[in-house]
Amino acid sequence: MVALLSMMLACVIFPGIIIKTKAKFSGRKGPGILQPWFDIARLLRKGSVYSTASSYIFQIGSTIYFASVVVASFFIPFDQQPALVSFPGDFVMFAYLLGLGRFFLIISALDVSSGFEGMGANREAFYSMLAEPAFFILMGSLAMYTGYTSFNDIFIHLHYQDYFSIIIAIIAGYVLANFTLVETSRLPVDDPLTHLELTMVHEVMVLDHSGFDLGLIKIANNIKFILFSTLSANCFIPQAWDFGLKIGAYLALQILFAMGIGYIESFRARNKMALNAQYILSISAISMILIFVIIILNNKI
Amino acid sequence: MITLFHTSLLLSFGLFILPKKWMYGATLLLQTLFIFSTSIWAVQAMMSVEALIIPLGISTWSGEIILSIDKLSAFFILIIDFICLAGIIYAGGYLQPYIEKKRSVIISLHLFSFIWLNAAMVMVTAIQDGLGFLLAWELMSLTSFILVIFEGQIETTLKTGINYLLQMHFGFALIMFGFLIVNEATGEMSFGALNSYFAQHSNTIVFLTFFAGFGIKAGFMPLHTWLPKAHPAAPSHVSGVMSGVMIKMGIYGILRVTSFLQGDLKLIGTIVLVVGIVSGLVGVILAIAQHDLKRLLAYHSVENIGIIGIGIGISILGLATHDETLAVLGMAGALLHCLNHALFKSLLFFSAGNIFYATHTVNMDQLGGIVNQSRLTSIAFLVGAIAISGIPPFNGFISEFLIYSGVAHNFTHAGFGMSLAGLAAFVSLVLIGGLCIYCFTKAFGLTFLGSRRSFKLEPFRPVPWIMIAPLAMLVTAILSIGFFPAFFLTPITGALSAFGNLNHDPGIVSQTNGAFKAIGFVNVGLVACIALVYLVRVWQQRGVTVITGPTWGCGYSAGDFRHQYTPTSYADSLIGLAGPAVIFNREYRDMGEAEVFPGSRTFHTHADDRLEHSTVTKIIGLLVRYLPLAGRAQTGFIHHYLIYPVLFMVTIALLTYLNFI
Repeated sequence: MVALLSMMLACVIFPGIIIKTKAKFSGRKGPGILQPWFDIARLLRKGSVYSTASSYIFQIGSTIYFASVVVASFFIPFDQQPALVSFPGDFVMFAYLLGLGRFFLIISALDVSSGFEGMGANREAFYSMLAEPAFFILMGSLAMYTGYTSFNDIFIHLHYQDYFSIIIAIIAGYVLANFTLVETSRLPVDDPLTHLELTMVHEVMVLDHSGFDLGLIKIANNIKFILFSTLSANCFIPQAWDFGLKIGAYLALQILFAMGIGYIESFRARNKMALNAQYILSISAISMILIFVIIILNNKI
Repeated sequence: MITLFHTSLLLSFGLFILPKKWMYGATLLLQTLFIFSTSIWAVQAMMSVEALIIPLGISTWSGEIILSIDKLSAFFILIIDFICLAGIIYAGGYLQPYIEKKRSVIISLHLFSFIWLNAAMVMVTAIQDGLGFLLAWELMSLTSFILVIFEGQIETTLKTGINYLLQMHFGFALIMFGFLIVNEATGEMSFGALNSYFAQHSNTIVFLTFFAGFGIKAGFMPLHTWLPKAHPAAPSHVSGVMSGVMIKMGIYGILRVTSFLQGDLKLIGTIVLVVGIVSGLVGVILAIAQHDLKRLLAYHSVENIGIIGIGIGISILGLATHDETLAVLGMAGALLHCLNHALFKSLLFFSAGNIFYATHTVNMDQLGGIVNQSRLTSIAFLVGAIAISGIPPFNGFISEFLIYSGVAHNFTHAGFGMSLAGLAAFVSLVLIGGLCIYCFTKAFGLTFLGSRRSFKLEPFRPVPWIMIAPLAMLVTAILSIGFFPAFFLTPITGALSAFGNLNHDPGIVSQTNGAFKAIGFVNVGLVACIALVYLVRVWQQRGVTVITGPTWGCGYSAGDFRHQYTPTSYADSLIGLAGPAVIFNREYRDMGEAEVFPGSRTFHTHADDRLEHSTVTKIIGLLVRYLPLAGRAQTGFIHHYLIYPVLFMVTIALLTYLNFI
């Protein structure tokens, strides 16, 4: 319960911290930590405008996106608290549930018959297709290292072994962090604050969403952040620590991660569009390194 | 039952003398009778321990033809019967415009072939004797050929049909060759003889012969070239049945041969795995590059056959490395994917048929925005698209999950080589999944959503209920597998019992049973969650103002349908990476230097299959080039022709004299 509450707390402060960090680096005071959620609350109260070209797909798209992210969050364990749903191979279903949400977001973007949104939809489909192998190779290698195939068992047994797990945790954390940036459309793949539709990925897909639907999409994006950052925190926090310390370490890691994203977004420019594919594939390449490290560690050669 | 079986097939000859308006009704009746009788047999075989033996009372020169239905056959017979039933119902609407136009004999031949295709496929799965099997196999190829050339007045259709017929006979020759090798060594020509053959001889050559022969039917790369041509040419109920179940007969043959394998497992498994991976990846990449909807779906058949191949290959490798869980889960995944692919692929083809019926085109460059005119068809297509992408809550996910979980389980203890094979299977499955989402967001989004991409709008012809009913049947089956996957484990386990080389420990399956129950539970939860959020949304929207307006054009307000993304532009970002698989041709005329007032221009793109170009086309090119040399012997002088037999006899005499023959 405490674990769930701390995950929710992290989810609440995460977007605010990113914005605050960016404001500090550019010498502004910045809005309060909770401002993104006030914005979402305002969206949830607003009316909506629907495109005349849109159909029932547009009406259900954002709902299904939101619901699939929520259901996917049931798969994430935290500490020794078992996830709500856990079975061997559950990470496959986790990734494919996010796929369901993405599918509907993409087709709702195509539903409004706009060239810009078609472009965003196309890019989203393309980039997530390229990014997905990184996650699966990572989970496969962790399964190889720990000998288990569900999120719960993998993270419980990750730290019981020797100090090699530190190397693995670092690579895994790095891969997951990069994967998160791609999945949640942050820099360097996509700039969420750009004002030019031609260079957007995620933002241009939701141009025609308004009111409640846009609110749902924003909440879902924030939850997605926490899903992946909790996974990477799980790689780092040892099971042997006592509970209070673990919660503290978890929150500290989340804040650090959010500040890291803020830092990257302050000092880095967005990739050239044409280079994105290469960048995303390099994440898979790094997770390939992880799997070969584990093959060597397990004396398989 | 046997009387019903014979009666329905014999009465089918009566179709040729019936008047046109009764023809379809009679076919529906006969085919339902046939499906009823064979399905009862299949269910009986599923229930019993031993195989069900049914003598047909017809003899060939190798003895009486006997249907011997074991659980593997029964599994496939049930798939065949279900899809053929949906197909013949669907044909009732789809053929309607043709019945008035075409001559009576063409219609009756078509319907007759449809019944007999169903019968041939059932016999293919049920006959164990080599000669009877080959006869049934040939019957299947011939009837499907007739079905493909239904619109034979179009030249390309006829050409495609002949191409199909030739390729099928090449496959037939390979299968016959495989049987002959076995016959030579064991004196018996049947699948059962493979068991003793594989125990004593090298397994690789005979397996690969069968694999190539059956692979042509199944559409493994690079033997897939008939598929993307034949499916678009055939009418939709035929392409649904052909893509849904007929290509599975190739898989059935491969599975049957695999079930006797005993040696060289590592090599064979690797070959099947590599072929599966290549078919899966290249198939889906080529699918993305298409703008003909039916052609796109045909390439997806290649992709799904690839997934089945990955399952079979990884399962054989599991056998080779004594990982029983992987062997069982891989094969179970492959089998379940056969069923799943049959369901969603025929659903997609029938939906594409509905689009053709309503708009007279399946070219995605001219479609778009038809969702509101054909809501039921769009829902059916959407279900099929999600299912084929392997996304929960539908059935495609279930079978892919079986393969995934087998590989993931294997990772926990695999050696080096097996880890690499597992990794390859894993990564390619993920990539195929991602590419499938890419492809089907394109197929669904650009066909149904947005606005129509054409100036000439033909009126939308409403689709009759008889073309919607089979879609509902298939969607129901897809939903039931998606939400109650644990229930379908029983027939799969039964079908696996036909494999002599697999471990039949119930513990392996019961472990999956737990995961399946959890998946079913999550799927129900997902739907409940969607419903809940949607209700909240409906409640929220009641209190606020909801208006409609034009799409946001980023400041430009004069946009029309031409500003939408097209199939070509949607595929464009992938084409850059897909160079090794696709040859992408752009045909256009550049602007001349002195062309001050540009005239009208056309732009045409066409995606070609690089693998086809470098294999089949090249071989055919060589044949076309050098075979005419043989024509020189045909001089036209009768005394030359008289010399040839003399030369032949002299050669024979010399060879005999020198003890060569």
